[in-house]
Amino acid sequence: MRARRGVQYAYKDHTADIQIHAWGCDLAEAYAWAALAMFDYMTPLEDCARVRTTRFKEIRASGHDLDTLLFAFLDELLFTFHTEMLICTAVQVCEFNRDEWSIRAVVGGTTFVDGETRQGTEIKAITYSAMKIIERGEISKDDESTGVHRAELFVIVDI
Amino acid sequence: MTTGADADARRTYDEERAYVSAVSPTKLVVAKGFVPNMRVPGEIYVNERLRELVLDELRAYCDEDRRGGGYSPAVKQIANVAALPGVVRASIALPDVHSGYGFAIGNVAAFDCGDDDAIVSPGGVGFDINCGVRLLRTNLTEAEVGPVKEALAQSLFDHIPVGVGSRGIIPTSPAALEAALEMGMDWSLREGYAWAEDKEHTEEYGRMLNADPSKVSARAKKRGLPQMGTLGAGNHYAEIQVVDEIYDEFAAKKMGIDRVGQICIMIHSGSRGLGHQVATDSLTAMERAMERDGIEVNDRQLACAKISSQEGQDYLAAMACAANYAWVNRSSMTFLCRQAFAKMFGKPPDELDMHVVYDVSHNIAKFEEHIVDGEMKTLLVHRKGSTRAFPPHHPLIPVDYQYTGQPVLIGGTMGTCSYILTGTEKGMRDTFGSTCHGAGRARSRNKSRHVLQYEDVLAKLKTKGIAIRVASPKLVMEEAPESYKDVTEVVNTCHDAGISKKCVKLRPIAVVKG
Repeated sequence: MRARRGVQYAYKDHTADIQIHAWGCDLAEAYAWAALAMFDYMTPLEDCARVRTTRFKEIRASGHDLDTLLFAFLDELLFTFHTEMLICTAVQVCEFNRDEWSIRAVVGGTTFVDGETRQGTEIKAITYSAMKIIERGEISKDDESTGVHRAELFVIVDI
Repeated sequence: MTTGADADARRTYDEERAYVSAVSPTKLVVAKGFVPNMRVPGEIYVNERLRELVLDELRAYCDEDRRGGGYSPAVKQIANVAALPGVVRASIALPDVHSGYGFAIGNVAAFDCGDDDAIVSPGGVGFDINCGVRLLRTNLTEAEVGPVKEALAQSLFDHIPVGVGSRGIIPTSPAALEAALEMGMDWSLREGYAWAEDKEHTEEYGRMLNADPSKVSARAKKRGLPQMGTLGAGNHYAEIQVVDEIYDEFAAKKMGIDRVGQICIMIHSGSRGLGHQVATDSLTAMERAMERDGIEVNDRQLACAKISSQEGQDYLAAMACAANYAWVNRSSMTFLCRQAFAKMFGKPPDELDMHVVYDVSHNIAKFEEHIVDGEMKTLLVHRKGSTRAFPPHHPLIPVDYQYTGQPVLIGGTMGTCSYILTGTEKGMRDTFGSTCHGAGRARSRNKSRHVLQYEDVLAKLKTKGIAIRVASPKLVMEEAPESYKDVTEVVNTCHDAGISKKCVKLRPIAVVKG
């Protein structure tokens, strides 16, 4: 998933924090978009999209159901940002394993440079609050045009 | 594991509203039955105007089509907390309450340590463990600082690392971090970043003794190491403030504040990534423990563990480390502020009388003694977005404040005023010695960004004569005063309800933010 070019996420209203709504044709795609939404909030990804992707990294996360898996996946990326200063501009979920509840993803991006990179708002943590992960079977063309997605998720992140 | 509030049949707003009744001009009670398994009622301290904001959140929740998204309003969250095992008397909300995650922000609940089932919940402390406010005084006046406030704001901005991705400038090694986690402000003192008197005027004397750094994960330490001595982002700030009004001269004098126009410095910050990661890690560990111990809660974010369980004890030991980290952090920034002022005025900080007035925590869980139904009990009091406010003569407050009650620091919002309150006997009886913590958000971050213009917000601050340095333009809109409740209204409600007493009003002249 590349940043900008018809992003598949939106920020929804929440009193104190931010609720991320991300969607795709399957959950792997929705999870990847949720990750980009998180980075876009911390620094405008449009800036980084112009810079060449210079760093790549493999991310693994595991849980025991869809919710814990999403939580662990985003937490891992947030951790990578805060310790290695890696801003992800591209996220590809390569394996989405529902038997073991694990994810393997490859991410690409650039380094956040203190004092140079434009600062957005810091995200402190991922929450389970009002987390919702929705999968639908086949959907019709009509549904698609009215904004119904085959896979979508809602997650509140703490600001 | 979770018996969701979503699962039961949907009630209309009027049906929901029937559970909420006003028992006095400053208090609402949420009756049992509002959410499943409530053990005690909910109590919300709000006056008539703030009441509308709380009920609006509930109305929006009832009216929305819940096809996706949505979140629980504060009233529901307060009630969910009242359903936790071991909770005593009531789940209490202060006037600045708004929807959070797990607990509402501005929520206090106490759990009886004598009850084997009683729990500890990271959701009742929040991700930013020991987020708090510190106030420094000076012997300078507005007349002296006013002409140089722009330069001073710039100097503070240069001294204190702020915003997302910023790194601390005080060199820290992994070994030093371990020591800081264990020793809190004793570490700052040893390293020369704090004065001995600073500790006297900090809750817990700046060190929680049950801290055990081996209970803090390697991940948390890795996040914490580069961020020591950074302010952070979001609603965190450092402000130069002027004493605007003194309501209680005796108490103010005890705090070293004796005239209108005196300059103070307020620092609002927390435990940064270390605390956030401690909370995240414990949430994952407790999820598993809940299944094992058969604990049922209404909201997954309310993950908790029995106080006596391994997970519970581990969390408390790690939380104490994060709390110590936050005090070290605020002490490091105090050091940087003192340096900035010393350079500007060409005098050492002690000649400028830059003492700590007090340092409060507003996201923390502590063991305290309280009287419940005429009986002295040891409780684990969770304060999330709420400040401890102990009355005069309480053994846990410093000698200097024995006659006045504990100073309570209420940070306003960018460009509005802040307050110093003092604790009262009534607060000790009614709210486990707790009061409000700030203005509390009223409008979502999204709405603020869409409705407000960057230039307008800055222009408004300028007309008020406030110098501002901010790392992220987006934050200016999100944190604009219009996004918050009226802090004066919040403080007055606490004063009228008698749970704390107004002492000093401060207004900002310079703001430094993430």
